[in-house]
Amino acid sequence: MSEPTSQSEAQFVAELTACQLPLTLYIRSLLPGDGAAGDVAQQTNAKIWEKRDEFDPGTNFKAWAFAIARYEVLNYRKQQARDARFVFSQELEQTIASEIENTDDFEERQEALRLCLQELRPRDRELLVSRYASSATLSEYAEVVGRSAGGLKVTLHRLRTALLECMKRRLSKWGTA
Amino acid sequence: MKNTELRQLIDAALEGQISEADFLRLEAELSVDPEARQEYYDRILLTQLLAAEADEKAGEQPAVTPTSRTRVALRHWRWAFAGMASVCAALLAFMVLQRPDTPLIPGQSQVAEADLGTDSEREQESSGYAIVSGQVDPIWADETSLTQGSMVPPGELHLQSGVAQFELFSGVTLVVEGEARFSILSPMEVLVTQGKVRARVPEPAQGFRVLTDAGEVVDLGTEFAVDVNADGSEVHVLDGEIDWHPRGLPAQRLEQGDATRLAGGVEVPIAANSAQFVGPEELQQRLKSRTETRISRWEATTGELARDPELIAHYQMSSSQRRLQNLAEATLEPASEGAVVAAAPAADRWGRSAQALDFSPAGSRVRVHVPGEYQNLTMVCWVKINSLDRWYNSLFLTDGHELGEPHWQIMDDGRLFFSVKKYDPPFKEGMRDKHIFYSPKFWNTSLSGRWLMLATVYDGTQKQVTHYLNGSILSREEIPDEYLVDTIHIGDASLCNWGLPSRNQPRFAIRNLNGSLDEFMLFSEPLSEQKIQELYNLGKP
Repeated sequence: MSEPTSQSEAQFVAELTACQLPLTLYIRSLLPGDGAAGDVAQQTNAKIWEKRDEFDPGTNFKAWAFAIARYEVLNYRKQQARDARFVFSQELEQTIASEIENTDDFEERQEALRLCLQELRPRDRELLVSRYASSATLSEYAEVVGRSAGGLKVTLHRLRTALLECMKRRLSKWGTA
Repeated sequence: MKNTELRQLIDAALEGQISEADFLRLEAELSVDPEARQEYYDRILLTQLLAAEADEKAGEQPAVTPTSRTRVALRHWRWAFAGMASVCAALLAFMVLQRPDTPLIPGQSQVAEADLGTDSEREQESSGYAIVSGQVDPIWADETSLTQGSMVPPGELHLQSGVAQFELFSGVTLVVEGEARFSILSPMEVLVTQGKVRARVPEPAQGFRVLTDAGEVVDLGTEFAVDVNADGSEVHVLDGEIDWHPRGLPAQRLEQGDATRLAGGVEVPIAANSAQFVGPEELQQRLKSRTETRISRWEATTGELARDPELIAHYQMSSSQRRLQNLAEATLEPASEGAVVAAAPAADRWGRSAQALDFSPAGSRVRVHVPGEYQNLTMVCWVKINSLDRWYNSLFLTDGHELGEPHWQIMDDGRLFFSVKKYDPPFKEGMRDKHIFYSPKFWNTSLSGRWLMLATVYDGTQKQVTHYLNGSILSREEIPDEYLVDTIHIGDASLCNWGLPSRNQPRFAIRNLNGSLDEFMLFSEPLSEQKIQELYNLGKP
């Protein structure tokens, strides 16, 4: 095997790095609310790396990586041997794949979100972020922070919506700037 | 759909708290509306961002209710999100740690490739709106065959007698008493043309409707029943409230304890009577006592079978001890006891815990030794398959593959496979080592998690091999003369796996069954079709 830092591998790493956001977004979109989506993303990265010799540098890296991601998602579902209740239809999954694959403003959108997050009141930001630092279910988490599950659900929902509205305002400003 | 509603659905989905009905609504909305999808992506982007922020924070202070699971998950996320530099660094580290020449198990990687070929091309599908979740003495008309766990087919169902319970995908539980004619139109709509139907509707299925000739019931979160017969129709509210839309009359709201009877265009209020309809609890009670009766009947049968001199091996997979007694007592050459390896305790086909074995953990098997030579063989097992995700999914195989040795397994496409090796190489022109007797495809994912009785009969006298599913013939094939084996040997063998890795060769193909087994029987005679049918009828849960 060649040195890991050889030029073609450095190129490969750069491609893989550049598509981390759409790749994880894609995997999360196919596994909504599944705590293991992150593990599947990591497994996908490992598989992409393992198959790097099969990648033809002249072709579309993203499409190639997405095909592997899709396979890893199917494989994960199969391992879970779960029913297909919370799986989107094949048509929708294909639409999602092609949309995410062919959109390149996700970085920008996430950057806008990051800025908006800084604008939130500190305790609201704290609440949102802490929620993601916990693997507890919403009701378990509500108990920990001493609030009712219903009330907490509403607050979190309102905060997320506010953040997304803020993001859209920013994006439209950037667009017109 | 309004934006606020859409956002709530997305958040519920991303919190892992969505009901099935809502998930279907979300899917429908995402399928048709690009803006809805953008909203979906944005909310996931936000989730990712927050998860990354949370991860950074986790390094600074203890998170709320940290668990080891979160920690691991967060670590995984860290390198995907901590920016380009660390991603590169992590990848490089990964490259150094995991050189690509790390050996892979050959069987496994082949399986993976094979899967990529089929699964990425077509997604598996099933159809229906409900499953059968319990039945007592059901008689279905028109050769409808519905068993516990069956997906309910579309169209009108005619229950001539007995009681059946259904679980609709919306969460509604339906108990139907025969004689009844009804159709499940969707997870949220049922049409009743005759009979008694009791519905228990959970919160996520509010708005569930029952349509009858006399009118329509719209549920508002409750339990209610309808009784439709030639003399008229009754609606009883057993809990909560409903909206009742009688045909040609004004709609009314009925509350718990209310009931109404509509006959000949005249409506009369009556008192609700819960006792008139079988409810889910009562059905469960009936099922339980039935199961107990069936278990004791099978125990008696087991005792009789033990005295059958043709029974060589009979294992029941109760896993408290890791040794399975061979229950066959009358044969001159009984098989050994079974030694359990890796397989985990599981519920058996009657639902009793730790009375079956789950062979999905890697390396799982039951080791047995079967002495003797046989001209005929019958193998019977009760099996619950999760999925057929290997090329070969083992049922009963001899170690290695020597002359005269049988192999019994299931192909990844759902066909039963049985063979007895006839020749060693070199082969004559056009010949192979053995003839493989395949059944037609009998399994698909709609059977996942269901207990099935599989049987295969090798009849060396009549020269035929017959495969059975649940007591009925799947296929029967003549044994070609040139492949007929009249002395079958078994020797050392495994249930639900194949072969042992040898010294210096630790690699092995993944062939353990992804599923559970609760019973295995081996007979030295070719059981007749009637006998197999009888074993199924006596042994079915």
